[in-house]
Amino acid sequence: MNKRRVDLTVNNRAVSMMVEPRLSLADALRGELGLTGTHLGCEHGVCGACTIIVDSDPVRGCLMLAVQAEGAEIVTIEGATPVVGLSEIQAALREFHGLQCGFCTPGMVMVLHHLFSNNPVPSDSEIREALSGQLCRCTGYQGIVNAAKAVAARHMHQNVQPRETSQDHRE
Amino acid sequence: MAIGEPIVRVEDERFLRGEGRFIADYALPRMVEAHILRSPYAHATIRSIGLDQALALPGVHAVLTCDDLPEGLPPIHCRIPTHGDLSPYLQYPLALGKVRYVGEPVAVIVADTRAIAEDAAELVELDFDPLPAVTDPAAALAADAEQVHEAGNLAGRWGFDLGDVSGALEAATFMVSDRFSIQRHTAMPMETRGLLAYYDVGRGLLDIYGPTKVVHTNRNLLATMLRMGEAEIRMIEPDVGGSFGARGEFYPEDFLIPFAAIKLRRPVRWIEDRVEHFAAINHSRDCVFDVTVAADADGIITAFDVKLVTDMGGYIRTHGDVVPSHAGASFPGPYRVRNYRLDAMTVMTNKTPTGTYRAPGMFEANFARERAIDRLAQKMGMERAELRRKNLILPEQMPWHVGTESVKRPTIFDSGNFPLIFDRATDAFGWSLPYQREVDGWKRGRGMCALVEPSGLGPFEGVRIEVDQHGRVQIFSGSSNQGQGHETVLAQIASEVLTVPMEKVRVRHGDTGIITFGGGTYASRTAIIGGNAVYSASISVRTKALDAASRRFGIPVEELDLREGAIWHGLNNEPVAKIGDIARMLMPGNQEILQTPSAGNIPDNDGLVVTSYVRAVSAGAAVFAVHLADVLVDPATGETRVERYMVACDVGRQINPMIVEGQIVGGVAQGLGGTFLEELTYNEEGQLTTGTFTDYLMPNIYDMPPVTSLVFEESPATTNALGVKGVGEVGPSGVAAAVGNAIADALGTSVGLNTLPLTPQRVIEAIGFEVGA
Amino acid sequence: MKPAPFDYFAPTTLEEVFELLNRYGGDARVIAGGQSLVPMLALRLARPEVVVDLNRVPSLSGITEEDGVLRIGAMTRQARALASDIIGTKLPLLHQGLLNVGHPPTRARGTLGGSISHADPAAETPMVMLAYGAKMVIAGSAGERTVEAAEFTLDTFETCLEDGEILKEIIVEASADEGTGFSELARRRGDFAMVSAAARIRLDADGRCAEAHLMIGAVAPVPLRCDAVADALVGTQLTERRIRDAVRLIDLNSFSFDNAEVSLAYRRHIAPTLASRALAQAVGRTGGLRT
Ligand code: FES
Ligand code: FES
Repeated sequence: MNKRRVDLTVNNRAVSMMVEPRLSLADALRGELGLTGTHLGCEHGVCGACTIIVDSDPVRGCLMLAVQAEGAEIVTIEGATPVVGLSEIQAALREFHGLQCGFCTPGMVMVLHHLFSNNPVPSDSEIREALSGQLCRCTGYQGIVNAAKAVAARHMHQNVQPRETSQDHRE
Repeated sequence: MAIGEPIVRVEDERFLRGEGRFIADYALPRMVEAHILRSPYAHATIRSIGLDQALALPGVHAVLTCDDLPEGLPPIHCRIPTHGDLSPYLQYPLALGKVRYVGEPVAVIVADTRAIAEDAAELVELDFDPLPAVTDPAAALAADAEQVHEAGNLAGRWGFDLGDVSGALEAATFMVSDRFSIQRHTAMPMETRGLLAYYDVGRGLLDIYGPTKVVHTNRNLLATMLRMGEAEIRMIEPDVGGSFGARGEFYPEDFLIPFAAIKLRRPVRWIEDRVEHFAAINHSRDCVFDVTVAADADGIITAFDVKLVTDMGGYIRTHGDVVPSHAGASFPGPYRVRNYRLDAMTVMTNKTPTGTYRAPGMFEANFARERAIDRLAQKMGMERAELRRKNLILPEQMPWHVGTESVKRPTIFDSGNFPLIFDRATDAFGWSLPYQREVDGWKRGRGMCALVEPSGLGPFEGVRIEVDQHGRVQIFSGSSNQGQGHETVLAQIASEVLTVPMEKVRVRHGDTGIITFGGGTYASRTAIIGGNAVYSASISVRTKALDAASRRFGIPVEELDLREGAIWHGLNNEPVAKIGDIARMLMPGNQEILQTPSAGNIPDNDGLVVTSYVRAVSAGAAVFAVHLADVLVDPATGETRVERYMVACDVGRQINPMIVEGQIVGGVAQGLGGTFLEELTYNEEGQLTTGTFTDYLMPNIYDMPPVTSLVFEESPATTNALGVKGVGEVGPSGVAAAVGNAIADALGTSVGLNTLPLTPQRVIEAIGFEVGA
Repeated sequence: MKPAPFDYFAPTTLEEVFELLNRYGGDARVIAGGQSLVPMLALRLARPEVVVDLNRVPSLSGITEEDGVLRIGAMTRQARALASDIIGTKLPLLHQGLLNVGHPPTRARGTLGGSISHADPAAETPMVMLAYGAKMVIAGSAGERTVEAAEFTLDTFETCLEDGEILKEIIVEASADEGTGFSELARRRGDFAMVSAAARIRLDADGRCAEAHLMIGAVAPVPLRCDAVADALVGTQLTERRIRDAVRLIDLNSFSFDNAEVSLAYRRHIAPTLASRALAQAVGRTGGLRT
């Protein structure tokens, strides 16, 4: 099949891959680049397990074609994870039992990573809205929300500022 | 002290870092991918399957159909005793002659990639003769109904007749009769199934990655089907994204993928996609209860008279009829009702076959019974909690024999102080405090469900514990893990008994290569049976270590003590030896203890290793629970909002309270899904009409109320040494009942709300509505 | 669930887009945000030979305002529109509608033009555009044409776009000092509505209703405009009671959607309630609701 070359940046590293147009970005990350932390729970855009950051936005990896990622900057769970140990968000999820089987977890971490990068002290409703597109069958979300609230409370206490200057979404 | 501590889970770090290893993350050199071609018809005769075009597609390696199956291949065995003989209804890995549900496997396509295999699937020519689809159990039982199987659509009919139901009904002062329907829905773990099979042709060894839940049972079943030695097959559980009863049973693919790997002499991987999952995984629930409950003038419930019809789908699978069996056996719940009659029917239809889903039979029975009890209270004019309280089984009546049996085991509640827990639950919730009935035009209602959840069923569990020279403890468990936290829980038990820190304990599980026999994970059994196996093996390890130290150092064993991972003598400041040193001394060939070795067996120097198999007491451990809910209902639209939810239960003893709470809260979420949202619906042609996540709605974060779990350790289980009771299924079990009762209370209605899911439309229908009013 | 094979082009100018669409005709599909098309590809419900990606055509996105007229590029992401101050202040109904569209990750990719062109009868954005009387700028190799929102959506999943044409831009006249309201009921928040309602209300200096618009969605192939309700409100002092009376004039006979989970009768039953809520919210936002 006619494969295309795609050049992109994944987790701060320039990479290129040869893909069929029909390959989803999530499949390409997993299969071509070996980044299997991005999971596929439905392949039709509902469960959120495949959520990654594309050009500073949380995006369903199963709803983008790999060829569409030409030139994109992508962060996956592997890129949102420190070399050893856990990030603040990850540690909070462990502390508050925000995961059981762990299958939805990378997607949860990615949306929270995005949320806290742009908004270190989100309100409860902002937390919920950020998580609203992610399905978890195990936890009932309570531990996940509690973890996020705890991170927000800690940030408030420490007066944390946005990590990256968030892209200005306003005109 | 590790038992009872809310220790963070040891497995979490890898999942959080994206380093979990799920089946789709496994690959092997020369691996090819399989796709299962499934029947597009609910009911049809197979005339022919044309493969020429599919086989001609570049990248396609094979297309296997029923013609390729081995001569004399048996159908997939049912692993659980059933009521009556259900063998005529068993499923073969590929349809033979006839298809009986949409999604039934008809061919296996193996290609370089999954995409090519799917391309090839479109080129297979299916020449099928469609037959009328049977989609409704009532229609299936009609005299002129199309027959799904030659043996007839009524697969089984059984029941109980305890006490004198007819007499009780005649004598009753109050009586309520109603019909309750529980819709077809299912477990729907976030990870779909998958298998990777590798056949080492030269050695004749078959490795299969991907099985879970009951790997030893599945391995033995596959060995029979493939006519291989059991130890020649190794099933290895990867990280698993949830099961909730459905995943890990032996499905057609569990034969087909290894079979294809043997045929092709190449590793074959199959990763189920979500749409396949909808059609292929066991569905569950799908039953109708006709309930009559009778009471005397004082509010003593005198009889339950129940008819239960269960839609089994197109075949009987590995679970047999365990779901209606549990529902029927436990229907009377926590009440001391001696007159109980059940007439149960299991019916075949042209739908996906069924099996268990978390709280199998119990979610259903609790809904029917507890809704009926609310009706009864209403009719009697008695407060609903009071009616229940009055009828609870009393502590002095324990162990309580219900008088029924399920899967050939009597239903017995081993222990519990139901009234005590009931009072604490209602107090904590503020059940009897007045509440504002109306808030901004919405109506508030309050509901409850009292229930007993059996746990810890199944014959046995095995474990081997090995301590190495560095004092590290490796637990090889026969159980499996789909996310519950067993790696932590089992480690906590060993850590406690062996007094070694959690970091030094590792748990492996779900692998037939690491322990000879294993039970597996189902029926909330791992903490109980797997846990007690670890407990008993750990005690043996301790005994063995103390005994070895005694011999090595010439100190009477009574004067030795195991603390902080070391052997101590009396009040000495220094330990005699670390547990790792003892492990070294016990290694075969080591001469520190056995100083004059002779040839032959070395019975003592077999390592600081203990294998232990623990039998389960057949009654298991009964968890009493009360679910309580406040729900707001918009009488204009039927919208509902669960305001607060509480589950109070007595689990005997907690190993990890954090995990216990997680099980309860997560279980409630699933219960809410079954109560409000999830439904597998079929049209008249037998096509599943809710076969994607767009149509099959599972709760998201906005659907979750705050859930409080109130966990008691009041009545330790009398059937196991640790005293633990299983908590895995308490969460979903009472949700539909409590919520349904709350909605009925809000609306002040005595009709409706009998049919799940409780969609806004059904809620509105309960109060009747006029268009445009 | 892997798509059937297709070829892929990512043109950077509209000319290239039209050239490709002309070359491949009915075999080509354009991809905008992909939130509806990619699942259909994966399920093999859509099987184009060629996919033409609009994501690299810069002229298709952006929001501009001139003299109270907003021009919204069809490829403007839903998330951008939701975060836009201009839309928040000038087209609040669009903002309100977008809050009900999917979830953050689907809005990050999903575009306004994509959801309008998909023409799902239960979708929020087409109804909002109808409520605003927006104009749709359609472009093709033959040039551009502009149609009213009401002429754009023809039927369930059907628009007036011809082969080779795309929706390029949406033009909406912002109306100052009006209040807007949006109300919908979905089985699960963020999913498609069972019934939805959108309202715009403008009051005159005396606090009487000078202008009213009410749309009901998810009940028929195309969102319904309820002019009888609007007419009954114009010229009156808006009270809850008056709204309640007016929504009785919703033409329930033009509802047609009916299925087991959400029956026609149920839709008819709840539509007036949702309409009242949307209207009351709109009046509230003008600051003029009298009780
Ligand atoms: S796999 Fe992408 S949303 Fe489910
Ligand atoms: S932890 Fe299992 S799906 Fe979320």
